[in-house]
This record gives sequence, structure tokens and C-alpha cells, in this order.
Amino acid sequence: MITAREAGLISCDFCHSLNRPCIDDADGQSKLQMHCHVCGSVIHSRTPNSISKTWALVIAALILYIPANVLPIMTVVLWGNGAPDNIMSGVLSLLSAGMWPLALLIFVASIVIPIAKLLTLFGLLISVQVHSTWRPAERTQLYRLTEFIGRWSMIDIFVIGILVALVQFGNVATVTPGMGALCFAAVVILTMIAAHTFDPRYIWDAIEKESTHE
Amino acid sequence: MMRYETGGLDYRTARACHECDLLQYIPILKNREVARCQRCKALLKRVHVLSLERSLAFAITGLILFFVANLFPLISLKALGVMQHGTLFSATLSLFEAGMPFLGMLMLFTTILFPLFSLCGTIYVLLSIRMNHYSQWIAPMFRFLRSTDAWGMLEIFLLALIVAAVKLVDITELYIGVSLYAFLLLIGTLTILNLVLNPEDVWDHLRKHAI
Repeated sequence: MITAREAGLISCDFCHSLNRPCIDDADGQSKLQMHCHVCGSVIHSRTPNSISKTWALVIAALILYIPANVLPIMTVVLWGNGAPDNIMSGVLSLLSAGMWPLALLIFVASIVIPIAKLLTLFGLLISVQVHSTWRPAERTQLYRLTEFIGRWSMIDIFVIGILVALVQFGNVATVTPGMGALCFAAVVILTMIAAHTFDPRYIWDAIEKESTHE
Repeated sequence: MMRYETGGLDYRTARACHECDLLQYIPILKNREVARCQRCKALLKRVHVLSLERSLAFAITGLILFFVANLFPLISLKALGVMQHGTLFSATLSLFEAGMPFLGMLMLFTTILFPLFSLCGTIYVLLSIRMNHYSQWIAPMFRFLRSTDAWGMLEIFLLALIVAAVKLVDITELYIGVSLYAFLLLIGTLTILNLVLNPEDVWDHLRKHAI
């Protein structure tokens, strides 16, 4: 069992071709080749500054998560009556209207997934920073799930967009988006980028280190 | 050609797992078989016969459906004798008009620009490979398509449309627009395209060409 890095090779992030960064040219001098020989992208053994970039994005998302939940995401005005809704009150009003499957869907997409995603990324970052060797396969699985599921949080933003477009009946009924929606969209985007920036190969590097110390 | 031996593995045919960096050989796969990393179980390779040809067919179908889905309303709403039509683009437009340019941009990119560019780009890459015409743009184009893959969110838009429709159906009359059928078919086509299109096949063609 040997990793590409131990073998002095770099796998391209896009086309997964193996590259040898040190190539001996015709004059016998070795030079560094930091572009993939197949697709031409910049290659690196591990995403540069992956951990600190992911930390920055996760912390930014966490800060924005507060206004995303406190500020109104949209205001529905029907016959002159209407109060601004935030994410939680939107779920509760769906529940009180008897639409519990819908309430559950929005609850999972807008509340459970973002929180689970932030916690997972925090956990993964800390585990990588303390060089944890605990269950790397399961942690990688968790990472894969986080990366896959994050985009579905966008559903609430799209619902707002569709409602704003459809419900425009002058004084009778209008829907206007609120600042909370903007913050929530930012949270979803930041966590999506954070999940992308996190390089799961760091999870396995701790094991590599441990086996070389033995 | 010089061969580099690394730990018993020939680096020209070996593969490093993109999620744990383990070097390994991928066995020769039969149709519909899948190769996973020995250590972390990441998906390394899958095989579909005629993957590129089928993908091209689905991508062209998708592009046609995308235009039809944008031509007519997806859903219409009638209240107080007034009809309000909702198209794919009107959600974007209304967010701009409501003073939320950032959300409008987000909507524009995730539901219109990325899906459209992804379909056109896929057709370009697959056609180029099929016609054996390897220009310098194929690799950067396919790289861009792979990295923006997660940002095309039409299927999420469909789910949002269902949620919005259920919310409104008690209050007003809803009418299904012509484009909704095209939109449903488009989502189906994109899903199949995603399953059939095997990025490894595209890279294999480029690899053969590069070496």
C-alpha cells in the first residue's frame, strides 16, 4: 500500500492522470512540471491551504447562519395582511396548515442539512488538525455525503423566487423576498465551496504518517 | 519510451484514488461494472458501452428540451380574473425587480446559464472526440464543465416548483403550462445523461491523444 505522494507522483484533480512532477529533460537537468500532461490543469499533491481555506469559509458561513435564521426570508401579503416569515416560522406555518410532508421537506433542506453540514465540516477539520486516525473510511464517507447533499438546501431560495414571480396581484396579494433569503443563499454557497475546498486526502495522511513512524 | 516503476506499479497504467491518494490498478471492467478504491471505497471507474455516443444523443435531446422548456410558461396562476404566468426565466427576473440582484444572479446562473452552458459544452466535447478533432480547447472546456457540474440546479428547481404549487393550490387556481412537460422530460434527460456520461471515457480519449 503506497500513496501517489509517497511514490513521488501527483494525481491530476480533474482527469486523474498520474504525473511525475520531476522530469529529466534532454540536457539531463531535472525541472519541475506542475501542469497535468493530459489536461493541462495545475497539479498539486494536496489542495494548497485546503484546511485554512475551509476553516475561513465554514466560519463565514456560521456567522451568516445567524442573520439567515433571524431575518425574514419573505413577506407574504394577502388582502393587506401579512407578516414577515423567517425560515423556522415558515416551517411552522406549513405545519399548522396541515401540510406536514412539505413542512418536513423544508425543515430537512433548510434547517437539518445546513446545521449537519456545518457540524460535519467542523468535525472533519478538527479531526484532520489533530491528525486523528479514527475511522478514516467512515469520515471519508461522511465527507462524500456532505459534498453531495449540500446543494439541496437551495430549494427554499428557489421556492421564494417562484412565489415572488407568481404571486404579483397588486394590492391583493404580493410576495417580497427578505434579507434572510440573501444570507441563507450565502450560507449555502459558502458551505458548498467549503466542502469542495476540503481535501479528503488529508484524512488519510495521518495514517500514512503513523505507519512511517513505526 | 521510458517506464517509471513505482513500488511495483507502472505509473502510466496505475491510478491514484482522488479521495485518499492510494495507488492501485483498476482491473478491466465489463459493461456496467464499477471499480471502487480498495481503501476508501471512492468510485474510481464505471463502464457503459457506447457511453460517449449515448451521452451525445441525450445532450442534444436535453438542449432541444431546454429551449422548449424556456419558451412557454411552466405554471400559471389565476386569481381575481388575472392570469399570472411563471416561466423558468421569470423567477430570475422577479428577483432582480424585487431589489435582490444577488439572488437574481444566483437564480440566473444555477437555473439557466450553467445548465445551458453545460449542455452546449458537453455536445462540443463529445462531437470533437467523435470527429477525432482534438483542439486545445477540449481539455479546459471539459475541466470547466466538471467543476461547474454541481452548480446546475434544475432538479432542485423542479422540487421547489412542486413545493410552491402545493402552497398555492389551496389559495388559487393553478394551471399546468405546456413547458412543464418539456421541463419534466429535461430533468429526466439530464439525470440519464449524468448516469451515462462517464468522464473517465473522455479523459481516456484525451490521454491516448496526449501520450
